[in-house]
Amino acid sequence: MNNIQSNAARILQNNKAEILDQWHQQLILNTKSLVESIGLNVMKQRTEEFLDTLIDALTQDDDFEGDSYDNARNLMTDISRQMTLSSLTPSEVTLFVFSLRDIIFPLFQTNMDAGQLAAHYSLVNSLIDRLGVFTFTVYQESREELMREQQQAFMEVSVPVVRIWDRIIMIPLVGMLDSSRTQQMMETMLTALEDYQSKVAIMDISGIPVVDTLVARHLITAASAARLMGAECIITGIRARISQTLVQLGVDLSGFITRTTLADGLQLALKMTDQKIG
Amino acid sequence: MKGPSSKDSLDISVANYEDVILARQKARELMQSMGFSLLAQTRMVTAVSELARNMVVHAGRGQMSVNSVEKLNQKGIECIFQDKGPGIQNIDQALRQGFSTSNSLGLGLGGAKKLCAEFDIQTTVGKGTRVTIREWKTR
Ligand SMILES: Nc1ncnc2c1ncn2[C@@H]1O[C@H](COP(=O)(O)OP(=O)(O)OP(=O)(O)O)[C@@H](O)[C@H]1O
Ligand SMILES: [Mg+2]
Repeated sequence: MNNIQSNAARILQNNKAEILDQWHQQLILNTKSLVESIGLNVMKQRTEEFLDTLIDALTQDDDFEGDSYDNARNLMTDISRQMTLSSLTPSEVTLFVFSLRDIIFPLFQTNMDAGQLAAHYSLVNSLIDRLGVFTFTVYQESREELMREQQQAFMEVSVPVVRIWDRIIMIPLVGMLDSSRTQQMMETMLTALEDYQSKVAIMDISGIPVVDTLVARHLITAASAARLMGAECIITGIRARISQTLVQLGVDLSGFITRTTLADGLQLALKMTDQKIG
Repeated sequence: MKGPSSKDSLDISVANYEDVILARQKARELMQSMGFSLLAQTRMVTAVSELARNMVVHAGRGQMSVNSVEKLNQKGIECIFQDKGPGIQNIDQALRQGFSTSNSLGLGLGGAKKLCAEFDIQTTVGKGTRVTIREWKTR
């Protein structure tokens, strides 16, 4: 066992330059966005470091989970995080590690007797499989983390107001409509109504996951404020299951103009402002 | 993890609006995995939103548990909302549309009752409130 590992380590060590060269070619081909985002030099540095730690760990006769692979795992964690930030696809991430296999196997073939091959293959095979799984796990975890952060950030950005037509503005509402975001939304909307001399504001709620009495109350408040400014509000994106739920909740939106789709809402808004498309 | 006899059960402590979102997500996840229709999910999750928020607004905080339940080979979801808040003096009044002690629409509690197949409320003034809701899967 020990023999195979040290022999494998020796072959990798003796052919380092060639392995790295081929690996880089593969990476440039298959994981362009990673190369672009961290630069070719940094990547070469990382792959070399990584190969070194791998060779080093191999000579220690240890399991992948063991201490000898600490460095390899840490390095791979770093690289996986980087891959997340570079928005690599899952297949690119797995290719990063798995492409090593196609480089190492031919090397074994030219450097040992056929009798030894099977044992070496299986050693490297299982090592690369575990590395691949490990890389992918870290990638997935950091991707989830990133998504949580982005979601958080998204909640904090100001509510956008789009001037979709002359005298018509549209506010696409997304996520959680809490009091502070409602306040912000109302201010933005009222300012935009004035700035753009708009007569109609379309509030699209198709991006709101749960429309409960709190959301309804906020919508009603915003629509009433628009009315005070002499503008009309159209609430769009009320899907069938939401309108059913609102009725059961006893929320009365009958005093407000509602439409199922944004397209219907826009058509109505154009009519209300005496405009036509085209 | 999920043996045939063990039921899914989950406890969430609810103290702010972020927790309310989490509570809704957990209820939705379970319903999705059980294959509930989108309409049923929307109704139940909206009820969860109301009841979880009531704990935050009226009791300061509380506990929600989400469970999968069974009766006569029907599968269902059960959510229990338990708080140690002031309790409700007059349940009938609180359930009525438009009654609110917080200058709100006052539709949440009565609305939640209408949205779910089963609704049970137990409350003791000065001790707290416990609301149980259930929805069954139609086959
Ligand atoms: N968990 C609770 N603890 C104590 N009192 C409660 C609780 N839940 C509801 N109540 C009382 O019942 C009343 C009605 O609740 P309901 O959810 O219908 O209206 P609301 O919360 O005041 O307004 P909203 O329509 O925004 O939900 C509340 O105003 C409150 O006095
Ligand atoms: Mg309420």
